[in-house]
Amino acid sequence: MIITRRAPRSTWMRSSSNEALLSRNRIIVTTLLFALGLAAAGCRPKVPAVYVAKLKSGHYQLKTGGKPFIIKGVCYNPVPIGKNHEYDWWSDSNKPWITDGKLMREMGINTIRIYQPGTDPEAVKKVIRDLYDLYGIRTVLGHWLGCWEYPCPFYGEKDFQERITNEVLKMVKAYKDEPGVLFWVLGNENNYSCLGRINPWSNEEIDREPDPQKKNALRLKIYYSFVNELAHKIHKLDPDHPVALGNGELSGLESAKENCPDVDLVACIIYRGKTFGNLFRSLRMTFDKPIVIAEFGADAYDATLQKEDQNMQAFFLESQWRQIYENLAGVKDGEGNCLGGVMFEWTDEWWKHDEGNPSGWSVQDTESNWSNGGYYFDIKAEGNKNMNEEWFGIVAQSPEAENGLNMRKPRKAYYVIREFWNNPVPLKKNPKR
Amino acid sequence: MKKLSIFLAALLMALPACALAEYEDLPAEQPKEFSVYTDKNARDNHFIVSGWMGDYGDVKLNDQATANPHSGTACLEFSYTAKKTQGQGWAGVYWQNPANNWGNKNGGFNLTGMNKLTFWARGAKGGEVIQKFMVGGIKGTYPDSATVEMGPVELSDVWKQYTINLAGKDLSYINGGFGWTTTADLNPEGCVFYVDDVKYESDATMQPAAKKVEDVPFYVYADRTSAKNHFVSSGWMGDYGDIKYDGASKEDAYLGDSCIKIVYSGKASQGARWAGILWQNPANNWGNVDGGYDLSKAVKLTFWARGAKGGERIEEFKVGGIMGEFSDSDSAVIGPVILNKDWAQYTIDLKGKDMSYIIGGFCWAANIDNNPEGATFYLDEIKFE
Repeated sequence: MIITRRAPRSTWMRSSSNEALLSRNRIIVTTLLFALGLAAAGCRPKVPAVYVAKLKSGHYQLKTGGKPFIIKGVCYNPVPIGKNHEYDWWSDSNKPWITDGKLMREMGINTIRIYQPGTDPEAVKKVIRDLYDLYGIRTVLGHWLGCWEYPCPFYGEKDFQERITNEVLKMVKAYKDEPGVLFWVLGNENNYSCLGRINPWSNEEIDREPDPQKKNALRLKIYYSFVNELAHKIHKLDPDHPVALGNGELSGLESAKENCPDVDLVACIIYRGKTFGNLFRSLRMTFDKPIVIAEFGADAYDATLQKEDQNMQAFFLESQWRQIYENLAGVKDGEGNCLGGVMFEWTDEWWKHDEGNPSGWSVQDTESNWSNGGYYFDIKAEGNKNMNEEWFGIVAQSPEAENGLNMRKPRKAYYVIREFWNNPVPLKKNPKR
Repeated sequence: MKKLSIFLAALLMALPACALAEYEDLPAEQPKEFSVYTDKNARDNHFIVSGWMGDYGDVKLNDQATANPHSGTACLEFSYTAKKTQGQGWAGVYWQNPANNWGNKNGGFNLTGMNKLTFWARGAKGGEVIQKFMVGGIKGTYPDSATVEMGPVELSDVWKQYTINLAGKDLSYINGGFGWTTTADLNPEGCVFYVDDVKYESDATMQPAAKKVEDVPFYVYADRTSAKNHFVSSGWMGDYGDIKYDGASKEDAYLGDSCIKIVYSGKASQGARWAGILWQNPANNWGNVDGGYDLSKAVKLTFWARGAKGGERIEEFKVGGIMGEFSDSDSAVIGPVILNKDWAQYTIDLKGKDMSYIIGGFCWAANIDNNPEGATFYLDEIKFE
């Protein structure tokens, strides 16, 4: 699909002068030539670069087409009821992204985040194009960098690094010319693998080091240096999109400052309840890069009362968005280093709690397997386990079918955040804004 | 006079009904004081000294202590033996309404309008340390609407008035009208102290307590009896059954007469395969109570540590990081740390951190994977600087 700008039809109808006619003919010819040129080149029109601007104030601002862009995003993985994460929704003939994109646009969402694209590039392009062309929704594309590979990601091994590098560059080559792409995210919470919290890895050099703190420091150095090389290579291949470092919390970013200076921003995963606390200032002090909160949110199930609680989810999300807005560029008293946020997540995913048990994929589990005191409404649940992994959706999924999909049922957060985006004032720190 | 009465009656009858309705909505005038305890058998004693806690066998009350009361004919004399009769290491007493109401009865009072509690106290010798004085905090089916604590307080041997600021607190249901707790660590030889004239007051000048910025050094733990111990080792986590804690160990303290000894058995009693202790303010505050301190002046936390054998591995030492309705303003962590057999000082860098609201003063966590035989280690002189 080729998009060309043209004057409104009523203008043509009113114009009768020769000049107007000539002008019209010039436009038609230019448009035709442009379209023919594009067709010959076999590509879509080049769109202006996405970049991060550092303002005189020291604040950071994401720009698309030269205009400020606040990321109002959502993580997107529309796995239907009864399926698990292996389901290839990219090739779903019912096109869930069409239904979802419409709802997203009505809410005000302008970005989706994909952790890693599907295996069929044409299907992935179709999704990116549909969302952008129909709804103006941008796509953030990520790559796991092999974090979940068995037995662990061998970031200290050259052949592992080469394989991951090839995969990442292949992804960038495939999608860099898609106008809908916003930026790239390298990794997610991979820094935790350096700190022994998930999938710990090592190499001979690390094994030789007896001090556990120095072992962690070595791992962080190796990992962030690798990401830095990737960022460097992506910039060469695609100068038009920023590269983000995915990171769990701010852990390890002191090392990133030394070893990963070439990323353009950090994309942090933050679950702190109603407040991000000192996050924005702390980042300024450790690794002065712009930040997008690339995963945050709240579940909609009260584990204490054992029932859905949409108010609870809406309360936390509204509070989180308020703080994101307080730290955008240009806001007085804020840190000015936040580019926006990406909520976790668009729809509930019913496979997540007991992922090895297919019969559980058709049941929305109410059991929790982790605790987070920041979400204090239901912290008195048994064992303090209050986080319900299958209830994070901004929209719920119903077993009822609509257009071949599980029916989408927007939760209260959908409307509360829509209202906040429509009228993000008064801000606590800057009531005049 | 009779004519005036007739005139007023006529005027009242003439007032529109709506004006009267508005007048009826106005609140009745609030009393300025509400007594908890004045004197034995005083008519205005609204709460009863009935809620013995912890090592209740260690506490004796003489409610007719006539020697040098602050006012009236008698005051309350508490004798705490610190013998750990029930093996708790601490004891305390609540004033309740009705007596022995641990939240199972709908008693208490609506004290809305009051904004401070004052009381007078003195020690028998001076130097007695009360871990905390409190208002509210009783849970149960009918929980108190507020929990407010003050302490630790080191008493002198002369009467002194103390004030608990209640401005801005929800006092709509208060069953635990007043209380105190202390520990054997703070008073190893026990203590005798006196309390008199406890009352709620309405004070137009009282403002909600703004946290003052604490001066440094500011101790988490100094010594077993120190009133400078500002946080309580109450947050036991993970395999809490694997932990033995001695806050008054005499085994080669780094400074002073005692240190903290921790024995972590690594038996996975609760199946978590890790364990740890968080020092909180107030005790057991997981972010559910507005507490803690403003430690904005602190640029580091230092502590001394050693292992019993050397080689014990502590996964992390941490400041802050509690998340709840009242979250710590920041967190900082070091680790893993392998301890030496000799005392060594460790530092958690707080430069650039927001220490303006700290509930979790200090924390350690260890796991079985790195301590399969468990670990015994010692801590001392934990302080913000």
